[in-house]
Amino acid sequence: MTSSTLGEIEVEELPNGATVGLVRCPQAPIVSTVVWYRVGTAAEGPEEGGVAHFLEHMMFKGSAAYGPGDVDRITQALGGANNAFTSHDSTAYYFQFAADCWTRALDIEADRMGGLILGSDEVDHERGVVLEEISMYESDPWDALERRVQERVYGTHPYGRPVLGTEASLRAIGSSELRSFHDRHYCPSRATIVVAGDLGVDAAERVRDAFSDLPRGDEWNRPTGRRPTPAADRRITRQHGDVARLLWAVPCPAWHDPDHASLRLTVQALTEGKSSRLHRALVEEEQLCAWVAGELSANLDPGTLSIAAELVPGASPQAVEARLYEIVAAVGTAGFADEEVERARRTFEADWVFGHERIQQRALSVAAALAHGDLAFLFRYRDAVVATDGRQLSLMAAEYLNPARGVVGWSLPEGVRA
Amino acid sequence: MTVQRNSQIRVRVRQVDGSPVASLRLWLWGGSRCESVAGLSWVTGRMLTEGTRGRGWREIAEECEALGALLGSFGGIESHGIAIDCLARDWRFGIGLLEELAFDSSFPEARCRWVCTQGIAELDSLDDQPDACTAWAFNEQLYQPHACARPRPGTRDSLASISGADCEAHHRSRMGRGGVLVVAGDVNEDEVRHAVGDRFRLTPTVASAEETFVEWRGTGRDRQEISTPAVDQAHLFAGHVTVAMDHPDLPHLEVASIVLGSGAGLSGRIPARVREQEGLAYSASATLVLGAGLDPGRCVAHVGTSAETVERAELCVREEMQRLVEDGMSDTEFEEARAYVLRREPFRRETARQWAGLIAQGELYGQQLEDPEWVAERYRSLDRCAVEQALRHHLRPDDLKIMVGLPGGAAPAC
Repeated sequence: MTSSTLGEIEVEELPNGATVGLVRCPQAPIVSTVVWYRVGTAAEGPEEGGVAHFLEHMMFKGSAAYGPGDVDRITQALGGANNAFTSHDSTAYYFQFAADCWTRALDIEADRMGGLILGSDEVDHERGVVLEEISMYESDPWDALERRVQERVYGTHPYGRPVLGTEASLRAIGSSELRSFHDRHYCPSRATIVVAGDLGVDAAERVRDAFSDLPRGDEWNRPTGRRPTPAADRRITRQHGDVARLLWAVPCPAWHDPDHASLRLTVQALTEGKSSRLHRALVEEEQLCAWVAGELSANLDPGTLSIAAELVPGASPQAVEARLYEIVAAVGTAGFADEEVERARRTFEADWVFGHERIQQRALSVAAALAHGDLAFLFRYRDAVVATDGRQLSLMAAEYLNPARGVVGWSLPEGVRA
Repeated sequence: MTVQRNSQIRVRVRQVDGSPVASLRLWLWGGSRCESVAGLSWVTGRMLTEGTRGRGWREIAEECEALGALLGSFGGIESHGIAIDCLARDWRFGIGLLEELAFDSSFPEARCRWVCTQGIAELDSLDDQPDACTAWAFNEQLYQPHACARPRPGTRDSLASISGADCEAHHRSRMGRGGVLVVAGDVNEDEVRHAVGDRFRLTPTVASAEETFVEWRGTGRDRQEISTPAVDQAHLFAGHVTVAMDHPDLPHLEVASIVLGSGAGLSGRIPARVREQEGLAYSASATLVLGAGLDPGRCVAHVGTSAETVERAELCVREEMQRLVEDGMSDTEFEEARAYVLRREPFRRETARQWAGLIAQGELYGQQLEDPEWVAERYRSLDRCAVEQALRHHLRPDDLKIMVGLPGGAAPAC
């Protein structure tokens, strides 16, 4: 049992290899259930583009005890909520239910882990839905730009593949491909089950009852040591829409690399809050951008650090890009002021608290930590971020925020050049 | 500044367990539904963090961020104000900052110009998002000339005309007309009340000019197509204006809305038909009272689909609405929809931020939204016949306004 700001946390491994986490935080009569599979787009074979995400859709389309649409109907009848997401490293499913009926989530998850039905009519039907999803993202200016930049920055690494696949790859996926992926990866030994909230006394037993009879599944060793292989051409320009948008992505260390936590605070000091270095300069003082944001991916293989900005009308793309590089270069050479470092620490700490107010958020954080490391990593990482000093921030900026290593993508209105 | 002691700003405090967080909200009644120039409420709200008589935006931001506090200010459709989320130990700081920003904001002209430029950038950005620009065109179709018809920043022309002095006058005017200060979180209620004391009873004197509300009318067009910058996806919005928050049929329509398509996952009739049965769309939803507040909300069905299938999607939406009006709902549908609404309540009361929002909304609408029993009773007292009757009265499939955003062009200016 670990006592933490998230609640009392118990962890156990079932005999069939499933990792189980119980987070007791009874402040509201709610329970969130997360089933997190340590498999995502990066585990797809060369002919399987999009199968991990397609399978995520199919998990709502019928299993041994639940017909197509039943999961949503039951969720609604019980006043719950459900959803799922697929990333390159993981696929996660989650339910929120009132505390008096939360175990229904266990029944559903165990049933579709062990007895998913992949009828060809349902598969054909859902393929059309996923194709519409691709169209939706392709029509969003930021999603479309991000996909192009990610392809370029990762090169042949699986992280460069689109999570949704492509129209061509999806048309090549049918029931048998989905079945193969499900059989290989959706098994207890690759699953982490976390329940959080007002659990009651027999929660551990309920989880064991639901999942213990499922077969362990084959061992699978995730390929390691893969690194992004950025394309030689590091610039992308897309003519689209009325607004100039910049996305600069540079390779960054994997989530478990000690540099990742230090880089996390670097991003905080650069982009979080009005007084952060990039926001203050590009938005508030020089008034070139409507906003600027930073994101550090938390991947199992080395990922990316991205800086995104939307320009105000009339601002020069060349000027913004030049200033961006100038500012991060200055951090690499002269570092941050002590007050800036301290503000970054305080905003990170507070964001961590705000980000775990909801039981659902606690369940997801614990699931991610257990799935890809251990519970202690969650808190170790937080503490490592806060312990980063100004000198390390400067070193991180110098090492990673290097224009020569990154890919810069522009989405520009017709007639505007970067 | 001349002050008076008869402020209508109510102070509400609530202890919320769970996280060491305090959420402070100051909402001043008015908002863009009362503004004299489009976007004035939005700019005024934003200007509340742009400087006071004692210090500039940067010092304010640095002080907040040194404590990890989140400071935001806003101008919405019915109010403008300030939001602070901080660690619970810093609630006194939050109250002091709220007081400073509410009473001493200086509305510097240079910062006003910058906020207006950001507003224009936001409008440009909306135009680039196919679903958003189609949704705003639909709102215009329903609500013009009311403020619900336009994005909160107003228009490019109106933003060019707003000055810092305009914002100051608007803010002073709204301070005198009342609002609510809410502190919710891991705090001692008595200590907070004591600390707030009379600080927010001092409000500027304002001339008591009559409010001017613009009624909504709509454009009168039944069906319209616009061009969006989408690559190959069309957006369909179908619906009409329904009822406001204080309408006695609102709870009925909230339950019916779940049956139609605003509940969990894809279980409502429209998402089930459009996505699950016909595979036409990834995003498909429907609601009957979206945006209901002091002004009427709207029935909206939204489908993101291909240009080739948008007519089919429209037919599905019309048929499902017609079927619901003509045939009603099953007992099971009704019971499950009502259970859904009732059982969602704990999820609306999980965090200090949610509580702060509920309390402020309750004050704005004069309803006991923070009382779970009061809310639950509104739904428990319903039966299927009453819900169907309300549905037949308020849902008009023959009178749907249709807005279609088609791919392949430049967006219309918001």
